Amino acid sequence: MSPDQPLTREDVAGIAEYARIALTDDELDEMCAYLRDAVALLEPIREYDLAGVEPTFHPIGALTNVVREDVVVAGLSLEEALANAASRRGSSFRVPAILGDGGAA
Amino acid sequence: MARLDELSARQIAAGIAAGDFTATEVAEAALEAVSERDAQVQAFLQVSADLALQAAAATDAARAAGRPLGVLAGVPVAFKDNMNLMGTRTTCASRMLEPYESAYTATCVQRLLDAGATPLGKLNMDEFAFGSTTDSSAFHPTNNPWDLSRVPGGSSGGSAAAVASGEVTIALGTDTGGSIRQPAALCGVVGMKPSYGMVSRYGVVAFGSSLDQVGPLARRVEDVAVTMGALTHGGRDCHDATSQDATRDFLSHLEDGVEGCAIGIIPALMEAEGLAPEVRSAMAVAAQRLETAGARIVEVDLPNMASAISAYYVIASCEAFSNLARFDGVRYGYQEPGCKTLAEQSALSRAHGFGPEAKRRQMLGAYLLASGIYDAYYLPAQQVRTLITADYERAFVQVDAILMPTSPTAAWKHGAISDPAALYLADIFTISNNIAGNCGISVPVMLGEESGLPIGAQLQGPAFADARLLTIARALEQAGDAAGMVAPSFAGGGGEL
Amino acid sequence: MRPLSEVLQDWEAIIGLEIHTELTTLETKMFCGCKLSHDDEPNANVCPICLGMPGALPVPNEKAIESIVMAGIATNCEVMRRSMFYRKHYFYPDMAKNFQTTQGPVAFVMHGHLDLEVSGDGARERPEGAIEKAPDGSYVAPIRILRIHMEEDAAKMNHLGGAEGRIGGATESLIDYNRCGTPLIELVTEPDLRTPEEARLFMEKLRQIFLTLGISDCSLEHGSMRCDGNVSLRRRGTRELGTKSELKNLNSFKSLHDALAYEICRQAEVLESGGIVLQETRHWEPSRKRTVVMRVKETADDYRMYPDPDLVPFDLSDEFVERCRARVPELPDAKRSRYVSAWGLKPYDAARIAGEPAMASLFEAAAQAVDTSEVPMVANVVVNLVFGREDLMPRQVAGLARLLAGDAITFAQARELVELVAGTDRDPEKTADERGLRQSTDVQALADIVETVLQTCDDQVRQYRAGNKKVVGFLVGQCMKASHGNGNPKLFHQLLTQRLES
Ligand SMILES: [Mg+2]
Ligand SMILES: [Zn+2]
Repeated sequence: MSPDQPLTREDVAGIAEYARIALTDDELDEMCAYLRDAVALLEPIREYDLAGVEPTFHPIGALTNVVREDVVVAGLSLEEALANAASRRGSSFRVPAILGDGGAA
Repeated sequence: MARLDELSARQIAAGIAAGDFTATEVAEAALEAVSERDAQVQAFLQVSADLALQAAAATDAARAAGRPLGVLAGVPVAFKDNMNLMGTRTTCASRMLEPYESAYTATCVQRLLDAGATPLGKLNMDEFAFGSTTDSSAFHPTNNPWDLSRVPGGSSGGSAAAVASGEVTIALGTDTGGSIRQPAALCGVVGMKPSYGMVSRYGVVAFGSSLDQVGPLARRVEDVAVTMGALTHGGRDCHDATSQDATRDFLSHLEDGVEGCAIGIIPALMEAEGLAPEVRSAMAVAAQRLETAGARIVEVDLPNMASAISAYYVIASCEAFSNLARFDGVRYGYQEPGCKTLAEQSALSRAHGFGPEAKRRQMLGAYLLASGIYDAYYLPAQQVRTLITADYERAFVQVDAILMPTSPTAAWKHGAISDPAALYLADIFTISNNIAGNCGISVPVMLGEESGLPIGAQLQGPAFADARLLTIARALEQAGDAAGMVAPSFAGGGGEL
Repeated sequence: MRPLSEVLQDWEAIIGLEIHTELTTLETKMFCGCKLSHDDEPNANVCPICLGMPGALPVPNEKAIESIVMAGIATNCEVMRRSMFYRKHYFYPDMAKNFQTTQGPVAFVMHGHLDLEVSGDGARERPEGAIEKAPDGSYVAPIRILRIHMEEDAAKMNHLGGAEGRIGGATESLIDYNRCGTPLIELVTEPDLRTPEEARLFMEKLRQIFLTLGISDCSLEHGSMRCDGNVSLRRRGTRELGTKSELKNLNSFKSLHDALAYEICRQAEVLESGGIVLQETRHWEPSRKRTVVMRVKETADDYRMYPDPDLVPFDLSDEFVERCRARVPELPDAKRSRYVSAWGLKPYDAARIAGEPAMASLFEAAAQAVDTSEVPMVANVVVNLVFGREDLMPRQVAGLARLLAGDAITFAQARELVELVAGTDRDPEKTADERGLRQSTDVQALADIVETVLQTCDDQVRQYRAGNKKVVGFLVGQCMKASHGNGNPKLFHQLLTQRLES
């Protein structure tokens, strides 16, 4: 994808797949229209002259190096941890079959 | 005999301390007010009667034992439903989190409980805080107590409506782009967005992590100040790396007035497209009142404010995409039944758990962060943030606070604005404040000449000058006649002590 | 497939490593106060933060940052003063938030290097002429380190219903978040490695350094140190890089070496037969000694990385960096040189001991308790009798060394003594006396044994007399056996030689 090319239906379908949001055909059409409008609304940001301007990722002034001590704090009991899970097996969370490749820490 | 919704938080706590009434009696009166009024207002998603009565009993026991009472002893409060409170569900008004039982308690909630507050329950909101009407709640809309056919604003619409209808004394909301101030304005109450880092975000379901702030809504500036004291009591929260030590005395200078203060106004902003004439004239009234109270009115400019909308929607959508990625139905929340593969389960759980706006924002964020796109939008948005922050810094050399509208119009009818892009533009006055991390507050000024509905004036102040901003807000409030006001059709109902 | 030595004559292998090390010696996880678990029940050590519960926020573990800065200092990296944590998004339930908190373009430490000393058989994997070698064939390979960054580990997934717990064919997967959020440092080398042996040595050296720093137990077996390899080939003498494949499951030094060796030969075969190498992730199967495709990468993954708004930037102070520097102990290379120069240890013994911090401290403490001349014997005891054991005290090791240096016991007796004193506070010298474990120097008794042995070893006697003097070693062994390990091997040697020469 490129910011200079309009978003295609395929682009939007690809984003939906990546973001794990299943869309019906109609929803995909609506989403395309929404994204095109929304991106048009954001356009002014590209017309700014921002040479030499540092980004501000955090509105926290000079705050840096916030850490905690390496000390154990009680967490959740096993039952509390699993209480909200829709599927579990024993003391583990359960998911259905994973096809293809997975994580990459 | 006192009517609960006429008492300030300090009066409730003092009445309990003096033995005029018990916390349990207050809790019962409050629960009665909720059951009487909420059928119409629909501000609550859950009423936690058991928790309320337990907390009240604990307050009464503490008094009986001679232990000191907190500043919010026995005060009825409720929380926007994006705040974890053990013993309640935290749904974010979404099907996605409908079954989620809070696994822990948010710091902001805990601090109010530690101050003795009585928790009445959880309040409606726009789903995951995306919106400015509360109509996007997956469960039901909330009605504006001033006119039930109108929206209360959003996303903390439940919080503003519960306060305006007199169901609670204080509510907590969250403000990512105006979500406390705008519903406060539309419901005729006071709503404060503290400076970023002032109040812990730990335990509050994130929308835009660099923009979100928790803050109080109440019918009086004083109640907001008392709540700010409780929220910041104990210093920075070690569970939120972005929180800073903000323990302040918000009360002792509250009545200092604005003698010698400089209040900025931005003339260009008053010409903004879509600004209702009655809002413009209310701003003139507010400026007049502050001037009469001894403030100087100074013209200032925030030249980069025009780009704030674009910058805000880039940053907020990118952060929302990422913050909502965790909702996949595996550890908690809605899980699509009967799926054969993980990919199917995730995609359908998210498709059926999230409402349309939550999906739209995530899709937009996922697009904007994609490689090749990131440099065109995300990075410039964060650069624009630097410019906007610098604009404010320049302005705050000249003035103590800037006065402007909170919302371009008074409350509108349910469903009157349906185009998401048009709704985004309604946030024009509030979002720059979140981008810069400054503090802001909306104070009721008057009823609109045309609509007869409440109009709020917004005051914005520099980061960590929250106590000063409250003093100015109090002066503005004092010059009017709305302090402590319950929406007329709910005033005089039940809830007697 | 052609053998590696042949392939490497024609092709140059370009190897880079990504080495993940869990900071197992810390008390808690990277961003929450959960205890680091080792063998606990699944999901026993979790909290709202590492489970990615709604509203939970991360706060970094200060000790983990000290550890990575120490790792950087020990690998000659530059400590980058200003850096940030980023969110790296991929939807997979082993990461509770569906993004991993890791570092962006600037890591805590960057641009380091380690020098590898390659010798022995392994040095032959680099063909002659490809690098300057010493007369004995050894050489030094400088390996640059791109960066070491801080991140959090993923949860453990257990795939049920498929073969060997693998993902393929599994019908469901179970998730244990105990490991999720464990502090992890990822070291990325520049593609400077050229042989599987160099890769193996690099990993070994890094493990020794991290062990010495005390930042991890560095267990390959338990996965606290994990290595991925990237390898591509190019014709010797050409510059352009080929397509690389990424190797996973290299969880032993042998696997690391053998998988790279296999992959180099496989790629050579593909290229030589006119094929093309695909950009793939491949899994090493140790039992079948081959790599198999896990997935083909058609496009680069897009992780949509951006600075984590929940974590504030780092701006490490001089004081912080100096505090970390002060905590870096003497590193294996320096230790080894000191052992050789100060105590005259054999380089091999010095290297083995210096590489294992527990053995180095045992050795050094024992060395304090003996005469300087006996220190090499202490090293001998550490390397050959007690290596890897944790149940011997330094004074016991010193005692054993003294007994051996004074020819009071044989090596076999020393081995017996180790078992007798291990895990107790017994003194080896006293125990040897009590048990009569003294090497026999009774010449007549030993001569009798020599006679008996010679009678049963006609073959060897004939060989010796035919000029094969080496068989005397075998005969000494037989005598030692017949004496139940108690005879003095030097005396046996003397007696045998006298007898055979007569
Ligand atoms: Mg990594
Ligand atoms: Zn945890």
